[in-house]
Amino acid sequence: MASRRRMLLKVIILGDSGVGKTSLMNQYVNRKFSNQYKATIGADFLTKEVQFEDRLFTLQIWDTAGQERFQSLGVAFYRGADCCVLVYDVNVMKSFDNLNNWREEFLIQASPSDPENFPFVVLGNKIDVDGGNSRVVSEKKAKAWCASKGNIPYFETSAKEGFNVEAAFQCIAKNALKNEPEEEVYLPDTIDVGGGQQQRSSGCEC
Amino acid sequence: MSTSSLSTSSDDELNSNRNPNPNTKPIDDELSLASITLTESNGNGSVNVNDQNACGQVEVDVEGPSSPTSSGYAGERGSSSEGTSNSRIDDDDEIREVINDDGFVDGVRDARAAPWMPGKRHVDEDDASISWRKRKKHFFILSHSGKPIYSRYGDEHKLAGFSATLQAIISFVENGGDRVKLVRAGNHQVVFLVKGPIYLVCISCTEEPYESLRGQLELLYGQMILILTKSVNRCFEKNPKFDMTPLLGGTDVVFSSLVHSFNWNPATFLHAYTCLPLAYATRQAAGAVLQDVADSGVLFALLMCKYKVVSLVGAQKASLHPDDMLLLSNFVMSSESFRTSESFSPICLPRYNPMAFLYAYVHYFDVDTYLMLLTTSSDAFYHLKDCRIRVETVLLKSNVLSEVQRSMLEGGMRVEDLPVDPLPRSYMSHRLSQHRLLTDSPERFRESTVGIGGPAGLWHFIYRSIYLDQYVSSEFSSPISSHQQQKRLYRAYQKLYSSMHDKGIGPHKTQFRRDENYALLCWVTQDFELYATFDPLADKALAIKICNRVCQWVKDVENEIFLQGASPFSW
Repeated sequence: MASRRRMLLKVIILGDSGVGKTSLMNQYVNRKFSNQYKATIGADFLTKEVQFEDRLFTLQIWDTAGQERFQSLGVAFYRGADCCVLVYDVNVMKSFDNLNNWREEFLIQASPSDPENFPFVVLGNKIDVDGGNSRVVSEKKAKAWCASKGNIPYFETSAKEGFNVEAAFQCIAKNALKNEPEEEVYLPDTIDVGGGQQQRSSGCEC
Repeated sequence: MSTSSLSTSSDDELNSNRNPNPNTKPIDDELSLASITLTESNGNGSVNVNDQNACGQVEVDVEGPSSPTSSGYAGERGSSSEGTSNSRIDDDDEIREVINDDGFVDGVRDARAAPWMPGKRHVDEDDASISWRKRKKHFFILSHSGKPIYSRYGDEHKLAGFSATLQAIISFVENGGDRVKLVRAGNHQVVFLVKGPIYLVCISCTEEPYESLRGQLELLYGQMILILTKSVNRCFEKNPKFDMTPLLGGTDVVFSSLVHSFNWNPATFLHAYTCLPLAYATRQAAGAVLQDVADSGVLFALLMCKYKVVSLVGAQKASLHPDDMLLLSNFVMSSESFRTSESFSPICLPRYNPMAFLYAYVHYFDVDTYLMLLTTSSDAFYHLKDCRIRVETVLLKSNVLSEVQRSMLEGGMRVEDLPVDPLPRSYMSHRLSQHRLLTDSPERFRESTVGIGGPAGLWHFIYRSIYLDQYVSSEFSSPISSHQQQKRLYRAYQKLYSSMHDKGIGPHKTQFRRDENYALLCWVTQDFELYATFDPLADKALAIKICNRVCQWVKDVENEIFLQGASPFSW
C-alpha cells in the first residue's frame, strides 16, 4: 500500500522574467497559451495530476516571479522542493547566462541534503520565435552547460506550440521519483519512566 | 423585542459616546438589546446588581437595533442588519445544501435529529469548486514547504495549490521577521498557527472569536501529536520534503470528529472534562478497582462512557490534562477499530509528554463504555489484558456497568428540576437521585414545561469547577432542543468564555448580556465559572437569584456529578 500511495511533488520554476515560465505552466496544466505578457506577482500555484509508471503524482507547481524584487521570498519558497525547473529564452543570451545564478541561488536557499544530485531540469523556451532565426543560444551550448552541472536533463520547448512541454514535465516527475528517499521506519521514543520525567516508576506495591 | 431595552438604551448611548477608548469596546460583537453592568459583591455565594462599582467589572456597551447610528461602534460590528437578523447566525458549518436541515430547526426535539456522519466528506471538491468556497469553516494542516497534510473539506492533493498559497503567506510574513496571526477578509477570518514545521490554518465565517478558533487549531495540532508525537519534527529537520500524509493514513475520521466536537463539546473551549452522573458509592467502587490496577504499573487508568468520565486514576504524581483526555477519547471513539476488539496502540499525550509515545490498551465493555489503560511499556499487552479482566469482573459484580448504562439513559441535571424553594439541605442533596427514582412519572410533568425550560426562564447552564478541572452541563431544555439551537448556544458560550478571559480587557467577574436569542449570565470566581442561559425576556434580578440557586444545587449534588478526590491535577 505504502509504495502505491500518491506522491506530491513540489516543483519550483525559476528563470529570468519574460522567459515564459507562466506560459509553460499554463500550456502544461491548462493547455492554453496567450501572447499577452502578464508579469507574475510573487508566485502562482498550480496543481496537476500525472501518471508515471503506474503511479499517480500530484505536481504542486510553484511558478515564481522572475523580477529581482520578488527574490526576497527566498527560503520559504524553495523549502522542501522536489524538483527545480530552470527556464531560459533561447533568444536572449542574458537569460541563459543567468541560469547559473538561479541554480546557485536555489541551492543556497533550499539547501537540499544532497545538492550534487538535486533534480534540476533545464528548459530552453521560445524555440518557435521567428522560425528559430532570432535564436542566440545553441542547443549544443545549452547541453554543454547542463552536462557540466551533473547532467541536468535538457529540453527545448515552445509554450506557444505546446512543443515538448509534456515530455519535459514527464521527466520532472521521473527525476523526482528517482530522488525519492527510502522509506524510513517512524520510531519516536517511548516515555522512559525511570528517566527525568515527572512520574516515577510505579512498581507493584503490594 | 426592542421594548426590553427601553429602560437602558439611553444609558447605553451615553456610555458608548463617553467611551472613545478602544479598550472598552464591546466584549463581543454580537448585537445585544440591553446592557447591564454587574459586579461581584464578594467572593462567597451571591451575585448582586451593583451599577457603579470599581474593580473587575464588565461594561457591555451596546445599542438597540433600532438605533444603529447612535454608537461609534456600529462600524466595528458590521452593518446592523447583519447583527439583528436571526438567520445570519450560523447554525451549521456546512453550506445549506440540505434543505431539511433547516426544516428541523424548530420541529424536532431530539438533539441527535440530524446525525453527524463520521469521516471526510466532499472529497471531490477543490478550491475551484463553488461548494468548497461556500463552506463556512475550513481547517488545513500543511507542512512548512507548503505540502498539504489535512483539509477538512476536499481532496488534499487537489488543494496542493491552495496549500502552497497558505504557506507562501505565512513564510512571506516570517521572512520579514514577523508572524501572521489573523487576516480578516470581509466576513471571513483566516487564523494561522505555526508549530515548528507544521502550519495550521482555519478559514471561517462563523463569527467565532479569534481566541476560540486559535484554541481549536491548538487542539487540532494536539490531535496530530497524539497520533504521531512531536518527533515528527525531526523528520522535517532531516528532510524538508518529508511527506507526513502516509503516517497519518486513515486518521481523517479522527480529525473530522474533533472538528465536529468544536460544535457540541464544551470541553473543547472550557479545557475541563465532565463526568457521568453516578452515585458516590458507585464511582468510588470504580475508582477503587482502577487504583488497584494503577498500582500494578499502569500510568493512567480511565473508565469512560462516551466522552464522560466514570472514573480515572493516575500513578502517583502523574497528572492528566483535560485536553489530553479530550483528544484521547476523541481518538478512541472516532476510530471504529477500537470498538470491535481489544486494542493496544501507541499514543502520545501532548500535555504530558509531547515527544514520546505511551501505549494505550483499549477495551469496550459495551457500546458506550470503555476502559483505557496507559502504560510506558510496549510489551505490557498481556498484563493489561489481565488488568482489564480484573476490572471487568469487579465492575460487573458491583453493578457499576449497569449503573453507567442507567445514568446514560437518564441523563444529567435538568433545569426543570432546579429546586426553586429553599428546601432543607437533606432534601436538596438527594434531588438528583430522587429525580432518578421518579423517571417514570415526570413525563407528564416535563410535557407541561415544553417551551418554558426551568424557573425564571432558565434554559441551560454550564458550571465549571476550577479546582477540579471538571464541568457539568445541564441537559438541554426544550427551548434549545434542536441541534442547530444547541450549536448556536455553544457558540454564544464560546464568545462569552473568550470575552471573560480576554487578557486585553479582562479578566472579568460577571457579565450579563441579552440579545434576541438569550439572556446570558456568566459569573467567574476563584472556585468556579458559571454560564447560564435564560429566556431573552427573563428578568435580570431573578436570573441572578436563579444562578445562585444553580450554584447551590451543584454544590449539593457535587458528589454525584464530579469525580472527587482524584483530581487529575494532583500535584
